[in-house]
Amino acid sequence: MNIIGRRRIWYAISLLIIVPGLFSLFTHGLRLGIDFKGGQLLEVTGQVTTAQVQDSAAQLKLKDVSVISSSGNTLVRYRDDGDAKKQQQDHQVLSTILANAGHHEVRFETVGPSISGDITRNAIIAVALAAAAIVLYIAFAFRNIPPPVSSWGFGIAAIVALLHDALLLIGVFSILGWLFQVEIDSLFVTAVLTVIGFSVHDTIVVFDRIRENLRRERGSFGQIVNQSINETLARSLNTSMTVLLTLLALYLFGGETIRLFVLALLIGIASGTYSSILNAAPLLVTWQTFRSKRSK
Amino acid sequence: MSLRVKFWLILLLAVVTAALAYPREDQILKSVGIKNTKLSVKQGLDLQGGAHLVFQANAAELKKLSASDRNQAMTSLIAVIQKRANPTGTSEIAVQREGSDRVIVELPGVKDINDAIDRIGKTANLAFLEIPSSDPSAQIQDTGLSGKDVERADVDFDTQRNQPIVTLTMKGDAVGKFGDLTTRINKEGGRLVTLLDQAIIFGPATVSTPITDGHAQLQGNFKTVAEARKVADQINAGALPIPVQLVEERSVGATLGQESIARSVVAGVIGLLIVALFMVAYYRLAGLIAVLALIIYALLTLTLYKLSALTPSTIVLTLAGTAGFILSIGMAVDANILIFERLKEELRAGKSFMTAMETAFDRAWTSIRDSNVSTLITCIILYIFGAPIVKGFAVTLGLGVLVSLFTAVVISRTFLRMVIRRGWGRKPGWYGLPKGLEN
Repeated sequence: MNIIGRRRIWYAISLLIIVPGLFSLFTHGLRLGIDFKGGQLLEVTGQVTTAQVQDSAAQLKLKDVSVISSSGNTLVRYRDDGDAKKQQQDHQVLSTILANAGHHEVRFETVGPSISGDITRNAIIAVALAAAAIVLYIAFAFRNIPPPVSSWGFGIAAIVALLHDALLLIGVFSILGWLFQVEIDSLFVTAVLTVIGFSVHDTIVVFDRIRENLRRERGSFGQIVNQSINETLARSLNTSMTVLLTLLALYLFGGETIRLFVLALLIGIASGTYSSILNAAPLLVTWQTFRSKRSK
Repeated sequence: MSLRVKFWLILLLAVVTAALAYPREDQILKSVGIKNTKLSVKQGLDLQGGAHLVFQANAAELKKLSASDRNQAMTSLIAVIQKRANPTGTSEIAVQREGSDRVIVELPGVKDINDAIDRIGKTANLAFLEIPSSDPSAQIQDTGLSGKDVERADVDFDTQRNQPIVTLTMKGDAVGKFGDLTTRINKEGGRLVTLLDQAIIFGPATVSTPITDGHAQLQGNFKTVAEARKVADQINAGALPIPVQLVEERSVGATLGQESIARSVVAGVIGLLIVALFMVAYYRLAGLIAVLALIIYALLTLTLYKLSALTPSTIVLTLAGTAGFILSIGMAVDANILIFERLKEELRAGKSFMTAMETAFDRAWTSIRDSNVSTLITCIILYIFGAPIVKGFAVTLGLGVLVSLFTAVVISRTFLRMVIRRGWGRKPGWYGLPKGLEN
């Protein structure tokens, strides 16, 4: 299969999904959950309507109240700017009102501003560190790569593929937040990092084959890359298949609390497979062509 | 090590891990002479139900102290919170310091969380104040006695007023001081007030007889024995050296936790079955070997979870952690897939089964190693910077990657070598290749 020859098509498909996501990200941003901006989350059994909590929420001066029901349980989110004592009392009032209506509390979370600040800062540090550690690792692992592309070229191509997956995932969740009020939490950051790890994992398998073929085979760089992609295609697809199947089982049958987390992993890992096969390795060829044209 | 020895060792590993991973492993252990050993996977609060509380020490109060005093204050703060959260020292309550100014309290299976927050977070400053009688407008005076002078507090019942009361026993010199104080107030006709965190729990009342034996009674207005018990416990644990504020609470009811476990088990079993079916359908005999390795992988991982509970570095399984474990099942077969695809390639290139297999393992190894390192790097970073819910995920996924490296490479390799060395294993059709590649 001529994958390298059609590389512009693969890039275009990627942009087609990423650009709307980025547009949504710049116009609407991400809908941040209580982990990042502080606030309260109350999960109760049964279906609750906004009307049921509206009056008491207004009386207690709660802000940003949102009520979302999904399979069996309802999540009530709000922000209580009072002191710890008031927050505790308000939670009790709200919980009692809902319990009297037959909706029993099964989960409660409150995150203060100092904690949410730390979570946000740590999330940013973690993503930056992971990206840096992975570039260094690839540059190191591929240090003996035969010409024409240096090990840093491989590192950078892997990072572009990794950014592709991270941006796609963040963009899709920005759209989901905009259209379906989906909020992101600590687990979303975990999903992004896991996807980054998996994407690089996949990319390395293809790169490893390119390295091996560069030593053994003759032909243009483009031909060798194309051959390497084809040789690893079955493996890449099969591994993604097993991972996606387990995630699908988790999405359909696993707990409600982690459903969005699993959805993020599903989207990210599908994207990771796509970018490893159709972006990372072709980028090496684009990069090499660009360099040789310039040096002429 | 010969192949035969390896095979028997793997079989032994499979039997031992199966016995330990079995839910009633205590019965099996008993039959081999190890009595009273019950292993279990330690469940996180989101699975067993409970509350995760984070208290932050008052920043203004901390600023007043020098760096070493601050550290000292945090250490004693944790000691006091420990005593309050776990007065008998028997329950599985964990109190630990986080960062420079926070304390994490983990309360498994607690029912009334608000009561627990009150119990732990109250500063509990006990103060004895005197109101002189001579001049009604006179300032209230501090007597210099405080909670530190109290040896112990108990709950008693005042049968005359039909109300629970808290009794105090004064400590050492404080017995004398309290005696002198009450004698003087008794003479001068003043009144005594006792405050707990600025709230009156006794008085103001005149002192009818001097208390010289160091036993005082606080009548308070305790409605229930439990309420009086809470105050007594707080006094016994001592005042918090620095006031604290609750900054984070995450509580999960036991029913939601149970539901999450049940759902995760179903998802895990279905995921495992689908992966097994896929592998056997696609790679035939090799797929079956991968499934055997995968089963040993699951048993070994479960055993490690259980055994880790006996060590200080217990692996706590959270809901996100189960997701990490299930995800690692999908990833665990990756190494096998890499090897089998390579095997097929080498066979297609016309190599003999023996050469093809050894080449496949050698060539696939660099890919397996390099690619898994990147996942491990992310796991380590997630563990260091992650919130508690994220740490659980990082641990199970990271452990999964490590264990799967062992099972995919060592176990699959041994089994595959065994079937290929014996002539009957050398059929291309058994590895998902078209027939007619016999050699």
